[in-house]
Amino acid sequence: MNPLSPQFLFFLETVLLASVIFMHLTRKNFTVVFLYTVQSLIISGSLFYSSLMEASFLLMAAAIMTFLVKVIVAPFFFYRLIQKHRLQFSVSTYLNGPMTFIVLALLIAFSHSRFFKPLAIISPANGDALLLSMSMIFISIFLTVNRKGALSQMVGILSMENAIVSFAYVSGLETTAGAQVGILFIIFIWIIIASVFASMIYHYFGSLDVSEMKHLKEE
Amino acid sequence: MALLFIIIIPLIASFMSFLLKKSMRGLSYIVICAYSLELVVVLTTIILVMDRKIYALNNYFSVDALGAILMMILAIVGAMASWYSIGYIRSEVDRKIIRSRKAHQYFILLHLFIFAMFFAIITTSPILMWIAIEATTLSTAFLVSFYNKPSAVEAAWKYLIINSIGVLLGFFGTLLFLYPTVHSGFRGFMSWQMLLSHASAFDPFIVKIAFIFVLIGYGTKVGLVPMHPWLPDAHSKAPSPISSLLSGVLLNVAFFAILRFKSITDIAIGSSFSQKLLIFFGILSIVVAAFIIFVQKNYKRLLAYSSVEHMGIVALGFGFGGIGSFAALLHMIYHSLAKSALFLLSGNVFIMYSSTKMAEVRGMIKTLPITGVLFFIGFLAIMGVPPFGIFVTEFIILSAGIGEHPFVTIIAIFSLALVFAAIIKHVVLMVFGDPENSLKHGELNIWTVLPPIILTAILIAFSFFVPSSLQSLLQLATMGN
Repeated sequence: MNPLSPQFLFFLETVLLASVIFMHLTRKNFTVVFLYTVQSLIISGSLFYSSLMEASFLLMAAAIMTFLVKVIVAPFFFYRLIQKHRLQFSVSTYLNGPMTFIVLALLIAFSHSRFFKPLAIISPANGDALLLSMSMIFISIFLTVNRKGALSQMVGILSMENAIVSFAYVSGLETTAGAQVGILFIIFIWIIIASVFASMIYHYFGSLDVSEMKHLKEE
Repeated sequence: MALLFIIIIPLIASFMSFLLKKSMRGLSYIVICAYSLELVVVLTTIILVMDRKIYALNNYFSVDALGAILMMILAIVGAMASWYSIGYIRSEVDRKIIRSRKAHQYFILLHLFIFAMFFAIITTSPILMWIAIEATTLSTAFLVSFYNKPSAVEAAWKYLIINSIGVLLGFFGTLLFLYPTVHSGFRGFMSWQMLLSHASAFDPFIVKIAFIFVLIGYGTKVGLVPMHPWLPDAHSKAPSPISSLLSGVLLNVAFFAILRFKSITDIAIGSSFSQKLLIFFGILSIVVAAFIIFVQKNYKRLLAYSSVEHMGIVALGFGFGGIGSFAALLHMIYHSLAKSALFLLSGNVFIMYSSTKMAEVRGMIKTLPITGVLFFIGFLAIMGVPPFGIFVTEFIILSAGIGEHPFVTIIAIFSLALVFAAIIKHVVLMVFGDPENSLKHGELNIWTVLPPIILTAILIAFSFFVPSSLQSLLQLATMGN
């Protein structure tokens, strides 16, 4: 049973969903990273509150690690990448603004459709919040697919991971603290590796625009 | 205790390689010792599994018949790819294509990659398996971009992004599978056994959604169409021994994850749902791969698309069920042996011809006599020519499907015929054409020839004779699938 009230959970999920939608709208890389930090802060805060309510030291350790990896380390790596390569702006998308809005609306409608609605039985009291986190999963995938910038693609994947964690939190499907630490360790390594690759992309292609990468097509 | 050794050996090998710095000889000794020992320990474990059906170290690590088969494939292919790496990487260093520091990195990551795959097979936890499978992506990303060329970086980025999305979807599916266990009040360590025992309490709707996410998620790692675009790029850009491990083992490990969830799904809602999905993705993979193979100009990409096709055949086999599942599992073994050998041989071809374009490779039988013969044998095997085992397994899979799914089976037969026509056209020219006079003749060294010989010998031996012990292991493994 989740210690937070259904109304408050719904509010948190709304903020999380809004953060991903704003990621689609913003034209600055700094803002994308800031929105990811806000998302991560909400999630680590919720986990920390749960650990206090359940008086679980292991859960608290997992919450603190979540905070360190997602709120401190990941933004640090991203800001450093932005400053190193002067990547303040990254506006390129495959779909234009209006089309992006249409797809966002369709994805939210899809996650609230008859296909996913029965998922609410996992946690009947938080059914609406669950569907919002489903929307967040799809919109995060769309961020990775639609953006041409490597940095936005990375943030899209991490945002998708946040969406899955929030789904697990709302539905009460959290894994054990040990498994959470293992998952965080993998995320931490992923952030480092993806950042190194982003630098390599900049080195070879002169920008983080992945649409510039055409060597595989040309071969 | 044996299971502990299995995961600790590659981990220690990685750590020792890290300490060794630039000694190529030292790195080679570590590889030889580690994987000879690993082979012995894995074979011992398989004997124990045959005896006890399940061999467990504790609640966290155990192996059943299905795991034992995967472990066998990994131990054999892992040993051969690692031994081959000694000769291959040494030659790359000698030709100044890479520096010795890079060779050092290569071996550290190779051992970590093998460790992650063993861990994925023997862990009893779906979450830990997910972590291990994600770890395979992370350990191989730098191996895919090993040559530091723009195309290799591009392939590695594609590999990292597509697989990360896929594996995260698999994670979401995994979480949904935990639902009945968590809601029954259980909060501890979640194992496959526990999920199986709670499977009947599943809500049919949730299990369907969960399996779809798992299939799409881990199916991305398997290379099933349409989630396959990373596969030909990563397999063709990675060093050949890594391609052999990616194609020969990693795809099977990801399929292993799907099969684990399929058993739970089948108990919860019957086998029809998962079978229909596997048939759909299986036939789609076969057809798309067949057409791409037909127009392919690059032999490493051809091998990669052939893996997509064969994973499609395996999916089709499990989709048809019954004897089809048995044949699909046997097909996995044959495909791993043949494809790993072919990828290793493609490394020899690349070193000799400095090109991956088929049009630029001619007369291998004269320039690389042993590689040429083995290459031809390997291609005959993956095309499913009799008397190779793949002919038998494909025949059984198609026979299993013709009754209930005649339309799908006929499409599969036509696609396989197309693959046959495409491959034979390319390979005959590559092996028997006239080579350029400027090329040197002769094999590189014993390390680049012996591993593919061993793999081909095992493939031929298993094609004519499947030991009764392996047959009973296969039967045990396919019981739930």
